[in-house]
Amino acid sequence: MEDKKAKEIVLVARKACFGLPTACPTCLPVYFYLKFAHVPFDLQFNVIHPDSDQIPYVEYGENVAYNNEKGGVIETLKEDGIVDLDSGLPTHTIPEWVSTKAMITSWLVDAAIYELWIGCDGSTAYKIYYSDLPWPIGKILYFKQVYAVKQQLGITKVNAERREAEIYRRAAIAYEALSTRLGEQTFFFENRLTSLDAIFLGHALFVGQVLPDTSVLRSKLLGHGNLIRYIEKFKMEFLEDSSSSSIPRSPFEPSSSSTPQRRGPSSWSSKPRSKPKREKTEEEKTFRRRAKYFLATQLVAVLVFLSLMSGSDDADVEVDDDDGLNSED
Amino acid sequence: MGPFKFGCLNLENHREPRKEQGNRENIKAKRKRPRWGSGFFSSIAKDDKGRLTCFFSPTNCCRGNDGSSRSLFFITHRCGELFPMATSVEEQENYKEKLPRNPNGDEEEGDPNGDEEEDFEEDFEEEEEEEEDFEEDVSQARLLSERNKLNNLFRRLSTELVTVRVHDVLIKGNTKTKESLIEPELEALKKATTMQELLQAASVANARLQRLQIFDSVNITLDGGPPELPGTANVIVEVVETKNPLTGDIGIFSKPEARSWSLEGSLKLKNLLGYGDIWDGSGAYGWDQTSEISTGVSLPRFKGLVTPVTARISLLSQDWLKFSSYKEHLLGLSVGLISTRNHDLSYNLTWRNLTDPSQMSSRSIRRQLGHSLLSSLKYSFKVDKRDSPLRPKRGYAFLSTTQIGGLTPDNRSLRFLRQEFDLRYALPLGFYNAAVNFGISAGVIVPWGSGFMNMPSSLPERFFLGGHSSPVCNLSGPTTLFGFKSRGTGPAEARRVIIDKSNNENTSSSSGTDALGGDLAVTAFADLSFDLPLRILREAGIHGHLFACAGNLAKLTENEYRNFTFQKFGESFRRSAGVGIIVPTRLFRMEVNYCYILKQFEHDHGKTGVQFSFSSPL
Repeated sequence: MEDKKAKEIVLVARKACFGLPTACPTCLPVYFYLKFAHVPFDLQFNVIHPDSDQIPYVEYGENVAYNNEKGGVIETLKEDGIVDLDSGLPTHTIPEWVSTKAMITSWLVDAAIYELWIGCDGSTAYKIYYSDLPWPIGKILYFKQVYAVKQQLGITKVNAERREAEIYRRAAIAYEALSTRLGEQTFFFENRLTSLDAIFLGHALFVGQVLPDTSVLRSKLLGHGNLIRYIEKFKMEFLEDSSSSSIPRSPFEPSSSSTPQRRGPSSWSSKPRSKPKREKTEEEKTFRRRAKYFLATQLVAVLVFLSLMSGSDDADVEVDDDDGLNSED
Repeated sequence: MGPFKFGCLNLENHREPRKEQGNRENIKAKRKRPRWGSGFFSSIAKDDKGRLTCFFSPTNCCRGNDGSSRSLFFITHRCGELFPMATSVEEQENYKEKLPRNPNGDEEEGDPNGDEEEDFEEDFEEEEEEEEDFEEDVSQARLLSERNKLNNLFRRLSTELVTVRVHDVLIKGNTKTKESLIEPELEALKKATTMQELLQAASVANARLQRLQIFDSVNITLDGGPPELPGTANVIVEVVETKNPLTGDIGIFSKPEARSWSLEGSLKLKNLLGYGDIWDGSGAYGWDQTSEISTGVSLPRFKGLVTPVTARISLLSQDWLKFSSYKEHLLGLSVGLISTRNHDLSYNLTWRNLTDPSQMSSRSIRRQLGHSLLSSLKYSFKVDKRDSPLRPKRGYAFLSTTQIGGLTPDNRSLRFLRQEFDLRYALPLGFYNAAVNFGISAGVIVPWGSGFMNMPSSLPERFFLGGHSSPVCNLSGPTTLFGFKSRGTGPAEARRVIIDKSNNENTSSSSGTDALGGDLAVTAFADLSFDLPLRILREAGIHGHLFACAGNLAKLTENEYRNFTFQKFGESFRRSAGVGIIVPTRLFRMEVNYCYILKQFEHDHGKTGVQFSFSSPL
């Protein structure tokens, strides 16, 4: 029994929701990495430590591969020889492979984090991370995390819009590049599964299924047909819960299937509402400007009226005083 | 019950107000008002200044104005006032009490024994102090007769009841303090029917007002009532509020289990709002162990609750990395609802975060890391009939602590039930001031809620055995086992193993074990304390002790209770014995023990040898 336990691999990740085995964008890549390697593992959840950077971690025997050590769980597993999906990659592809992986892990991961904590409203993040904590703790930790993400991405009140545009632009470039790289192939590199596939699949499933329909990032992802095809293929193959997935024929058609885990229609349609939002804000701005002018003129008119009135009153009063004085005399 | 405390007037203090009251003639012309002593006395003597001294029995004693603890009164042959004289009582506060004065006293509170009363009044005459010297020479003979009358009077006081009715209670001097705080302490005064009762109630009220800690001094004057109402008395309570409401102290204390020192400082603000509230802020910094900052308020009287209510907010951080590979951060609010000598009820709401910055924890500890909300009610019942908490020689003590966690509508907070028992018994032996102390402590923690049999208990709430705090003095549940380090015994799990691949060798370095604690804990000890033969040591309070103790921990949660048998539990008891010397000083209490481990298991951290332990002197 103890030997069995010792050899067993356990992945401890954040909770499952939105039709995914784990809904956290850091945990999904590790999950798929182990799945791609066809390594039997036990999936357990930690729901009380949402702000830990140690999660996800993989336990194998008496050793543990933490997320915040040695470059991440996947790197540690490769180094310790437990699960190595990238063995045998030809050396000439490694530079491009490494730089593509770096692009995913920096630009796309940042975009996903931004979208989850700042771009959308907090309900998605709350459901993934804080729904199992008592309410006051969950609220406080949520605000703490939003602040930490802003610090991490360098977002301040002054440059918020600029940073947002930059993050989305980079994500768009990355998706474009990946779509070009994938083309009509099944895998990204060397026609085989690598850790890059796991990382990208984890990110893409998170963006496609967890983020709400109004998400800008999601719309950018769904603009690439071959990426969607890639995602769907692996989802069907590796996710056990096949009833939750819907196979859209076209990315712009709303799908009819719905599961209780999904919020609203599980459509892959990308109809960003950002444009109408922007127009509205411009209208609002002109409206507000005009309203301010109007109020200002009204105020000035009232002041002028009052001053005139009080001026005439003074005149009357002076007359009275003179009369009073005269009478005294 | 401690001794009753009376305020006493100094001759000097009494002189000044007398002068202000009028000139000599007026005073002389005034009806001499008798002043009554109080209490029970055993003898009267005359001191070198011609003043009579009355020695009181220990049940009634008072404090001198110079702050020394004295318990004798002396009564002048004329004034019949009480003055402080000798020996010790508990508190160090100054207080004064004037004696009751009766108005034109033929109708002496309806007392049928009018004769003796009249004599008494004549005896205690009020005169100017300046005349004292003049008259002293004249009335030596009078002194003797009065002395006899005093004797008779006091004998009467000690044998009969003199009835009186309290007409009015006046409170003076409280500029900031609300009357609603002072009045309830004086309830007993209003209901007193006899002079003795009144004096007793006055001293009790005095003590209780002193205990609020917001007054510099409290005077209770028992005065005669309005002249038209015979047989009445007025009570005048004069309080002097503390001028400087801010006090602070700082100190360095040692924690016996951790063998480390902590620096603690605190500030107290008294009576900020006038409700007798005491606010305090304190901070403690312990090297490598616990640091805490907290602020609290204590209200002596809150909306009808009889006992003081305390509330405290604290931010605490505790480091258990060395023992169990985790660090604990707490932000908590605790409210003490009932706090009497025997009962204690408090509510606690805490946000707790367990982290592992070392990243070396074992599997069970890893599963427990994270945030949790603890909302619990803790009730303890204590009976301590031992003669001394530091070196008990006879008596017994019992403590039961119950804690229920999970008192929120939210089912995600920590839910558990924790019970502790402590029993101590001290038996005196006749020789060498020796005594045998027996003790047994037990505790159990059980989670509740759906699926509680599979759930693990919360890690910081479990029981841990080890450490050197003395089980004789401390009634704190099953925590101590001589000879074992802090958290040094019980279920343990191997920490994370790091595979070191340098030099092409797969060497794995094991970094020890984590103490997991247990759900069921039992400890027992027997301790024989005796005086050392040298007289110097005996007088310093240094004594020796022989001890033997045993303890065990077991895990019951996560279905482990199925494997639990009492026989196995009994067989796996850890045992140790030893001998040592206890040195109590004013600053700390030091124990030097030589412990011999009789039985320990692997993963236990017990060491045979000499151990030092320092604890607070209380």
